[in-house]
Amino acid sequence: MTKKVSLVVMAIALVALPTMAQKTPEKVVAAYDALANIILDMREAEHDFVVAVLDGHMHGAKMLFKKGDYEGAAAEMALVANEGDNAVGGVRKRLLEGGHHFNAEGEEQGIFEPGYVVVNREAKKKMLAASSALRQAKDDVARKAAWDDFAGVAKPLLAGE
Amino acid sequence: MITRIRAASLLLSVICWAGVGPVSLAATDSPLLFVDVAAEAGLEAPTWCGGLEKPHLLESGGTGLALFDYDVDGDLDLFLVNGWRLDRTEIAERGRNLLYRNEGDGLFRDVTERAGVGDDQWGTGVTTGDLDGDRLPDLFVTSFGTDILYRNQGDGTFVPVAESPSVEGWSTGAVFFDSDADGDQDLFVAGYVDATLEEVLFAEPTLVWEGLNVMVGPFGLDGLGNHFFRNLGDGRFEDVTKESGLEDVGLFYSFAVSALDLDGDRDLDLYVTNDSNPNYLYRNNGAGVFEEVGLWSGAALDGMGNAQAGMGMAAGDLDNDGLPDLFVSNFWKDVSTFYRNLGDFIFEDATLELGLRQSTYLPLSWGTTLSDLDHDGGLEIFIANGHIFPQADQAPPSSQTSFRQANVLLLNEGGRFVDVSDRSGPGLEVVESSRGLAVGDIDFDGDLDLAVSNVDAPPTLLRNDSERRGSWLMIDAPEALRVTVETGSRQLIRHRVIAASYVSVNDERFHLGLGKTDRVPKLTLLWPDGSQKVLTDVGVDRVLVFRR
Repeated sequence: MTKKVSLVVMAIALVALPTMAQKTPEKVVAAYDALANIILDMREAEHDFVVAVLDGHMHGAKMLFKKGDYEGAAAEMALVANEGDNAVGGVRKRLLEGGHHFNAEGEEQGIFEPGYVVVNREAKKKMLAASSALRQAKDDVARKAAWDDFAGVAKPLLAGE
Repeated sequence: MITRIRAASLLLSVICWAGVGPVSLAATDSPLLFVDVAAEAGLEAPTWCGGLEKPHLLESGGTGLALFDYDVDGDLDLFLVNGWRLDRTEIAERGRNLLYRNEGDGLFRDVTERAGVGDDQWGTGVTTGDLDGDRLPDLFVTSFGTDILYRNQGDGTFVPVAESPSVEGWSTGAVFFDSDADGDQDLFVAGYVDATLEEVLFAEPTLVWEGLNVMVGPFGLDGLGNHFFRNLGDGRFEDVTKESGLEDVGLFYSFAVSALDLDGDRDLDLYVTNDSNPNYLYRNNGAGVFEEVGLWSGAALDGMGNAQAGMGMAAGDLDNDGLPDLFVSNFWKDVSTFYRNLGDFIFEDATLELGLRQSTYLPLSWGTTLSDLDHDGGLEIFIANGHIFPQADQAPPSSQTSFRQANVLLLNEGGRFVDVSDRSGPGLEVVESSRGLAVGDIDFDGDLDLAVSNVDAPPTLLRNDSERRGSWLMIDAPEALRVTVETGSRQLIRHRVIAASYVSVNDERFHLGLGKTDRVPKLTLLWPDGSQKVLTDVGVDRVLVFRR
C-alpha cells in the first residue's frame, strides 16, 4: 500500500512540477495533504483495529463464561491480555522488525511491551492472573471473582479510558 | 588460566580413572565435583560457528551435541555438530560433524569417517530416534541448509535417508516422538531465522549495544516456520504441520524443543522455546493433533507477563507431585524461568521462590538440565552459558558480562537452589562460550556426567566425581513414559523427557538418585497404553533393562 501511494505521489509530482518551480503546484500540495491524512489516520486505524481484535476475544470470553466453558473463557481472556493470539503476535513482530513502535515512548518508560497498542504491562499481568485464576477456580464464587477481576481491567481498556 | 585448569583436570582424572576414587570434599560445602576430561579423552577438535567478529546472528547460536549409544555396546558415544569457520566474507573452513566412539577406558575415538556422518554443511543441532523400529538409534542433524536424517545400519555405519524430512534454512531444535500412538516416531523440527548464505557472509554489525556495534537480531530478521513430519511407517515422512495444529503462525524464533507428557494423560505434549517471543506449549489430543495453549497455561511468558528470550529448556518433577515442571534458560540480564506444573495445564512462575534469580540473571544461558547429580533424590540444575556478542568483552563494566562465561551449577537443598558453581571442582572453572548440553553416564559409575559444546572451541566433558549422597538406579526402558520409585519414606517420579536442553540429546535412560537406601521396596514403570510393570524389593546401584 505504501508503495502504491508513493507511486501516485511521484506521478503527480512529475507531471505537475514546472522546470523552474517558483511555487509548489496546488496539485502536489493537495496530494501531499491527502497523504498526510492517511499518515495521521493510520495511527488511529491501527488502534481501532487492535481494539476490534480485543473486542472479539472479550465477546468470546463472555459467551464461553456464560456457557460454563471456563477453560475456553480463560483462553480468550489470555488472548485479550496478550493483545491477540500468536498470529497477531507474528504481525506485531513484523511491525517491530520494520521499526514501528506504536507506543515508543511508553515502551521506553517500561509501561508497554514492544509493539503493544492497547494493553499495558500492568493490565496484561492482571488479566493473565485472572485467566489463570479462572482455570483454577473450584466454585462459582471464585469463577465470578476471576471474571470480575478481568472485566475490571479489560472493559476500561477497550473503552479507551 | 585455561592451561592451569586443564592441568588440574588431568591430575584429577588420572587419580580417579586409575580407580583411586573421587577426591575428598571435606574442605568445601558442596558435595558436587566436576572435572573436565575432554582433552585426555581425545575430544580436542573445535566446533566452529562463524568468524571472530560474528556480524550475523547465525554465528551466535553455536552447535548441539548428543550422548547416545550408536553401536549398542552399552556405553554412551558422542556426536558433535559442527558449523563453519568464517574469515570475514570468506569461508575459511567447513566444519565436519564428528562422531566419537566411547572406548570404555576413558577415551573417545573419532569414527566419523567410518560411520559416514561427517557432513560438512553448517550444522546447528541434533536429535536421535528410531525411525524404523529396529531398536537402533538413528540421527537427525539440523543445519543452516538442508537437514539430514541418517539411518543406523547396525554395523557402526549410517546412511543418509534419500527423502529426508527437512526444514530449509536455519533449523534448530528437533525431536522424534510418537505423537499419535501408532508405534512409530514422528519428527518435529524448529525453525529460527530465514537467511541466505550471502546475507551471512556480507552482514554488517549495525546494531548498537552497550555503545558497541554488534550483530542484528533476531528482531529485524524474518522468522522461519516450524515443521512437523508424520512417520508413514515405510521410511517416508509427510509434512503435516498445519493439519496437526503445529503451524508456526507467528513465525517466532524457535530454539529448543521437547516432547513430554505434561498433564499425565499418557500422550506426549510439545514445548518449544522461542527467542524474544512467547514460548509455545502444544497440548496433544492423543491422536497427534495439537492445540497451542501456552498463553493461558502460564508457560509462555514469565510471571510478569513478559515474553523472554527462550534459549534452552529442561523438565523434571521437582516437587514429586507426578507432573513434570519446566525450566527455560534465557538471555543476559533476564532470569531463567522455572514454571511449576500445577496440573491440568496450569503453570506458575516459581523462579523467585526457588532462589533462582540471582544466579541466572547475568549469564546468557543455553543448554540446561534438571538432573540428580549427587543421588540424594533432588534434581540439580546445570546451565551452559555464553554471550552471543564477542564484543561483550569490550562492553563497559556496568554490563557485567563477557563472551566466554562460566557455567552455573545449582544444588537442590530441600527444594531451594544454592549456587555452588564456585566450589564444585575445576570443571566449573572452565570459561567458554558454551551452548549445547548433553547429560549421561559416560564412565559407567552410575552418576551423570555432562558434555558441553563451546563456540569455536573443543567441547567440555565434565566427569561427575561428586560425593555420593545416596544410591542410584538407571532404567533402560525406551517406550516407558514414567518411572515411580517408592522407598518407604518417599516417592520419586521421573518422566520421559525427549530432547530438551539446547539443540542436543541426553541419554534416554531414566536416572534416579535414591538417597541413602540399599533396597527399593517398589518400582513402577508406566507405558503409554496405561499398562504398568511393578517390581518389588529391587536392588540398587544397577542398570535395569526393560523391553516390550
